Amino acid sequence: MTTYVASRLAQAGVVLAGVAVLVFSLMQLVPGDPVRIALGTRYTDEAGAALRERAGLDQPVLVQFFTWAGSALTGDLGVSFRSGEPVTGLIVERLPATISLAVVSILVALLIAVPLGTVSALRPRSVVDGVATVFSQAGISIPDFWMGIMLIVFVAPLLALPTGGYTPLTEDPAAWARSVVLPAITVGVTSGSILTRFVRSALLEAADSEHVRTARSKGLGHGTVLGWHVMRNALLPFVTVVGVQLAYLLSGVVVVEIVFSYPGLGELALQAVQSRDFPLLQGAILLFALVFLVINLVVDLSYAALDPRVGTR
Amino acid sequence: MSPLNRAATRPPTTHRASVLVAGATALALTLAACSSGEGVDAEGLEEATDPSASAEDSGGGAPAGTLVAALANTPDQFDPHATTSQASFQVLENVYDTLVVPSAEDLSFEPSLATEWTTSEDGLEWVFTLREGVTFHDGSTFDAEDVAYSLNRIIDEELANAFRFGNVTSVEATGDLEVTITVSAPTPNLLANVGGFKGMAIVPSESAGLDLATQAVGTGPFELVSTSAGGVELAAFDDYWGERPSISGVEYRYVGESAAALTGLENGDIDWTDNVPAQSIETLADTEGVELGQTGGSDYYYMAFNQTQPPFDDVEVRRAVALAIDREEITEAATFGAGTVNQTAIPSESFWANDYAPFELDPPQAEQLLADAGAEGLEFSLMVPDSDEPAVASAQVVASQLADVGVTMNVDTVETGVFLDRQGQGDFDAFSWAWVGNIDPFDFYQAQHLSDASSNFQGYSNPEVDDLLTQAAEETDQDARKDLYAQAEQIIVDEVSYLFYFNPDVVEAWSSSVSGYNARPDSAVNFETVTLTD
Repeated sequence: MTTYVASRLAQAGVVLAGVAVLVFSLMQLVPGDPVRIALGTRYTDEAGAALRERAGLDQPVLVQFFTWAGSALTGDLGVSFRSGEPVTGLIVERLPATISLAVVSILVALLIAVPLGTVSALRPRSVVDGVATVFSQAGISIPDFWMGIMLIVFVAPLLALPTGGYTPLTEDPAAWARSVVLPAITVGVTSGSILTRFVRSALLEAADSEHVRTARSKGLGHGTVLGWHVMRNALLPFVTVVGVQLAYLLSGVVVVEIVFSYPGLGELALQAVQSRDFPLLQGAILLFALVFLVINLVVDLSYAALDPRVGTR
Repeated sequence: MSPLNRAATRPPTTHRASVLVAGATALALTLAACSSGEGVDAEGLEEATDPSASAEDSGGGAPAGTLVAALANTPDQFDPHATTSQASFQVLENVYDTLVVPSAEDLSFEPSLATEWTTSEDGLEWVFTLREGVTFHDGSTFDAEDVAYSLNRIIDEELANAFRFGNVTSVEATGDLEVTITVSAPTPNLLANVGGFKGMAIVPSESAGLDLATQAVGTGPFELVSTSAGGVELAAFDDYWGERPSISGVEYRYVGESAAALTGLENGDIDWTDNVPAQSIETLADTEGVELGQTGGSDYYYMAFNQTQPPFDDVEVRRAVALAIDREEITEAATFGAGTVNQTAIPSESFWANDYAPFELDPPQAEQLLADAGAEGLEFSLMVPDSDEPAVASAQVVASQLADVGVTMNVDTVETGVFLDRQGQGDFDAFSWAWVGNIDPFDFYQAQHLSDASSNFQGYSNPEVDDLLTQAAEETDQDARKDLYAQAEQIIVDEVSYLFYFNPDVVEAWSSSVSGYNARPDSAVNFETVTLTD
């Protein structure tokens, strides 16, 4: 088990280094000179040269890369061109909002997907199954920005919920819940719809396998078969998909964040792209990569817990 | 345009924003004609008893008496000397003071941190007497050192507004409460240059160790309490030198999506917003509990041609385009009627305005000019920034109008950063955008049309215009100055250095529970004298 974890960690390190190189090279290819953009109409050759020097952009690309990568290892991701604040601080400031939204959204998604997917797997091609299919199709098809606006315009006034913004959990838990619920529903319905279909097919597949037939023929009760033999086997692929969804949500949900003026990472990354705020963008992408790696690692480790056959090699 | 783009904000250091630089200035004295828009009417007070319009009822956890303001764009930072973001100034307006300040009524300059000022006979020395008993938010006492420190900081560190001090040779504290500014040539618009907007704010001289990008220490009616990714909180400053505001504070929220801002406004969640898309104006005007402020603005939209290369190096080709466009149609499409056509940059309400409109829609003549210039079947591309809806909308209208005279104009909508970059490098056939917040004619014309000016991207050069603009910048007699600008303006318009479209209105909306607020032509957002009723 320890070797398994160690090798996974080593792999993650390699991937992260690859991402760093990739992100850094991409920045060199993006059109638009960051210095010119940062200075706007105040741009003069002298002012441009001065800023280039201050930001280290006059150094050879390789030097720039290693300077950046070196300090990134110590948690220093540089200083934002746009606001002049440390990138690490800007990102950390937004983490609670993004984590709140991601976690609550996943909960909403699971609350939709698990019951709905299970019911329709138990009665394939029934009316319930039909309704669930229509629901999940609709959930996938409705654009999230449209759903967000509908919730803002119709639901928020009705339930006296705020139309946007975010209140930290530590400040006021009730206000936190009120600020997170509508964006989380918007995100959760889409994720939940995807997961519903997934739960359904995973359960159907597991229910169809031979050991389930054996279990039934042994005369085990319906509940025992479903709970012990079907669900447990369907759990592996399910955890994988939930993990990927969670990682995706933790990287910020740009459109929903903007509709709800929700100060999360997606909105920050978008701002960085638009203002060619290279240090901030590099930092954000690096963090997203890290999130995916960590979650994948956790998912893989959970396999070992869920399925004793994994990790014993 | 998708909600994504809207909220994506204007670029941090943009044209639009830095234009505010060029712009939020106000002209001395004479703008009496400039109306300050529709005010809050007295009915507001009665309607305000409607609980749905009250700020506190509606969540957000705001304490009583806190005004909630929704900003369409997100500030980049809070150092008044470094930022060029309009959104930053919508906050800083309430936190900092300048030596003088444009009045809400006619934008003439009134005392603020300076109580009076005199100019020497030769116009080269300005002496400002400062207000006594002013305290900074950190408790320190305001004096002449702070003024000298602040203005010299802008000049020495070449910060955003350094260009306004091009004529200034020194800023010195010549007494505890006296500052002398020496200029190398008469500078009639010096007051605008030191007090047009909060980009020239006075910060304490002890602020060297502070990070002004995130902290604010001003002398204004409100102090900055906290900043976060989602907004900013201000609290009324107890030791303010003027009358303490009646509201306890202002909570700014960054709300990029206009549907959210307007729903919040109707719910009573939000008390004020500038996120009012032109297409919502009509609906809002009829919405109970919401006041709409709309006033003729001093921004302008225009198109500029690359005059350094064919075909637009030929003035007749530019004129042909000028004769082929219908400004009424453009204005309607871009602003849904919330704008005024103009063939010059300066809005008609301004003291500096001249009624000059030489071009009348004449497609046959346009075709003739193109034929004479050997430019039939002209095809070119117009670059517009994707963040600016009116610019994009007007480009589409112009394209169809030009098609009528056999000209193919391809609209090249580019990401704003790319726009700025290509503009700076002269990589365009033509581009279209806006300048915002201008008041003095210096702001309207100098930086755009002087041969070697910083924003003369189109490559216009006319020695006569250079002479007129340079003289006008130093002319102290207002009427003579106006006349010089009028002459320069006529040539600029005739030779189509810019092809001017229209002046968009300043449009803001607020709840009926807010009184004492007005939309201002310089788009400054000031909550000092606002009151909130339940």
